[in-house]
Amino acid sequence: MGTLRTIACAAFAAALSVLPAKAQQLTVWHDLGDNGIKWFEALSAEFAKQKPGVTVRSQSFPTDQWFGRVISALNTDTAPDLIFNNYERVIRIQNQTNKVMDLKALTAGIADKSFLSEDDMRVATYKGRQIIIPIQRVQMAFGVRKSWLDKNGGKFPETWDEVKTLAAAFRDKDPDANGQADTFGMALQAAKPRDLIHMLDLFIFGSGLRHTLIDPDGKITIDQPAHAQVLEEFLKTYSTYRFVAPDTINHSFAEMYQVIEGGRGGMFRVGDWNVRKWDGAQVLNGDFVSGPWPKFAADRPNAVVIGGMRGVAIPENSPNKALAQEFAAFMLTKAAQQASLENVGAGVRKDLDVSKLSPRSQYFAKAEHRLVAYDFPESIHAFYPELEAAFHRKLLAGIANPPADWKAFIAETAKEMRELAQKLKS
Amino acid sequence: MTDLLARMARDRIFYLFVAPFAALTILFGLWPILLSIQVSFTASASALKPNPSYVGFANYASVLADPIFLASLSRTLLYTALAVVANLAFALFFAMLLDSALLKRGNLFFRLAIFLPVITPDVAGYVVWRWLYDRSFGAINAALKMLGLPAFGGLSSVDTAMLAVLIAELWHHAGFYMIIFLANLSMRDRTLEEAAHVDGATAWQRWWYVILPQLRPAIVINTVYALIQFLKTFTVVVVMTKGGPNDQTNFVSYYAYQLFDQARYGEATAMATILFAIVIAISLTAYRIGDREPARA
Repeated sequence: MGTLRTIACAAFAAALSVLPAKAQQLTVWHDLGDNGIKWFEALSAEFAKQKPGVTVRSQSFPTDQWFGRVISALNTDTAPDLIFNNYERVIRIQNQTNKVMDLKALTAGIADKSFLSEDDMRVATYKGRQIIIPIQRVQMAFGVRKSWLDKNGGKFPETWDEVKTLAAAFRDKDPDANGQADTFGMALQAAKPRDLIHMLDLFIFGSGLRHTLIDPDGKITIDQPAHAQVLEEFLKTYSTYRFVAPDTINHSFAEMYQVIEGGRGGMFRVGDWNVRKWDGAQVLNGDFVSGPWPKFAADRPNAVVIGGMRGVAIPENSPNKALAQEFAAFMLTKAAQQASLENVGAGVRKDLDVSKLSPRSQYFAKAEHRLVAYDFPESIHAFYPELEAAFHRKLLAGIANPPADWKAFIAETAKEMRELAQKLKS
Repeated sequence: MTDLLARMARDRIFYLFVAPFAALTILFGLWPILLSIQVSFTASASALKPNPSYVGFANYASVLADPIFLASLSRTLLYTALAVVANLAFALFFAMLLDSALLKRGNLFFRLAIFLPVITPDVAGYVVWRWLYDRSFGAINAALKMLGLPAFGGLSSVDTAMLAVLIAELWHHAGFYMIIFLANLSMRDRTLEEAAHVDGATAWQRWWYVILPQLRPAIVINTVYALIQFLKTFTVVVVMTKGGPNDQTNFVSYYAYQLFDQARYGEATAMATILFAIVIAISLTAYRIGDREPARA
């Protein structure tokens, strides 16, 4: 009996010695779906190597629900340890709660961060407060269906004129050879303010311009000659040129993807997060090539667009604030960023192993092309969403009833936007 | 007070059974409405904070001065009027047809065919309708083309978008109203029609003066329900048009939802409250008019 007791005590002591002193769990709320959940599982396993006993549990919500839950949780002191989302969404959380922690001191203490640019840090900062640690740059390139391109010369279009020629060929020359006139030059979207302006953003920033609607000083830019040229061509793409599906005026993301993945659109936006799915045999089977957005002026270089920044934020009332900060800093380490690249298709470091990625994913991961970032007006002008909604409404009116003179339409729109911006500012 | 307590004690079993449902109604029905109304009096930037800033009727003033809201409201009222008339007329027509001797064979099949859309998930139904209307691959335009007829603008034309939405909603809802009409028709007093027939009334006179007045309960219920339904039109817009093209289907519920998306919570809930008041007022008025005793000759 005595021997048995001794063995039991020894076994208990041995068990205690291998158990962590204190098991802790961090909770992260995001909207990345299954890929995000897998990514955080990988991060949890990696983080446990340096913090034994700590697990990270992530919960993914549809974006609308994510807003509501985060706002109410932060306001009622039931916050998760960390939140993860696009910078502009975290701005909204900060506006509604004033409980997003300033991460300046934490970031200053991170030694290995030289890969974060000034642009990255500007995006992360709102009203003097660093509200996120940038984790994933969101890159968006111009994509062309390769098999259709090969039938039309095989040269990736560089200039807007080349894009127009190719778009007309994709529309008129039955590139899918099914004998029906059911293909379109481009797949775009227009229904919601973010849909149409997001598409315009890509053309504007991709062509090397810096502001879509308003500059940091609050000046409306759309009737400046270089901007007006891009805007006019963009609007004609939806109307006069007939390069898009006739129902595009009602298309949002889901419908745009149906046109792309359904094999009907020849040129389209390729986000770094799209590549993994579109490489799949059941989707595009890798039948696309990516490049920079079209060039509108010979002296203005074109680019791939950085259209957003996803980052991690910490609520002031995070239950495990100190540990949450350690984890947020950990998300910039090479191992964590490698997991981000492999699971979500994006990161901020440039020293990651990309050899396992497809050539189409490598195009983004290596970032060898010129990159131009959005100007993120919502981080400067609090009234921007309302201004953007009015701009969208005006552009949709133009697309629905195309004016005889687009230049006059743009001038009139600029005047209306100036008046509205003035009103919203005051 | 004593009387009230005595009455409650007497009817305690009734109150005991009603209590759970009353509690649920207050918790999940009235409380959210009251909270929403409260938010409509706060500044959007602080609306969801624990101590919001109250701005009185500023959100209501802003909404009522917004030309897009006013256009949206008039569009909603127009659409509701058209949809209520179209749905009730369609439902009544098919109810009469199914009640008549003309459709004795296959009656059950036709009933099911018209009612089936009611139990079809609305999102799935509207997605199919969107595809049917699609101008590049939709079946409707394909059929029109085959017949040599001009193309239908469907959801992408400002001239036809509201009509296209109305047709899809008609498909989805009319079966429900038809069932109510059929139930009422089956309860009518057929001897009155026989008497009118003997007195020499024509078929039209029998329908107008004998059958239709007996359908008054179904007409009232259907009208009130349809008014509530179409004033709040939302799902079909989200699925099919997102308010477009050029705001032609931007009804009040969807416009308020768009403002939520821009974090304009105060104005959005003010809109929702105005719509709520309109729904209550119109529904009660319709009910009162419909429930009035018919004037006797």
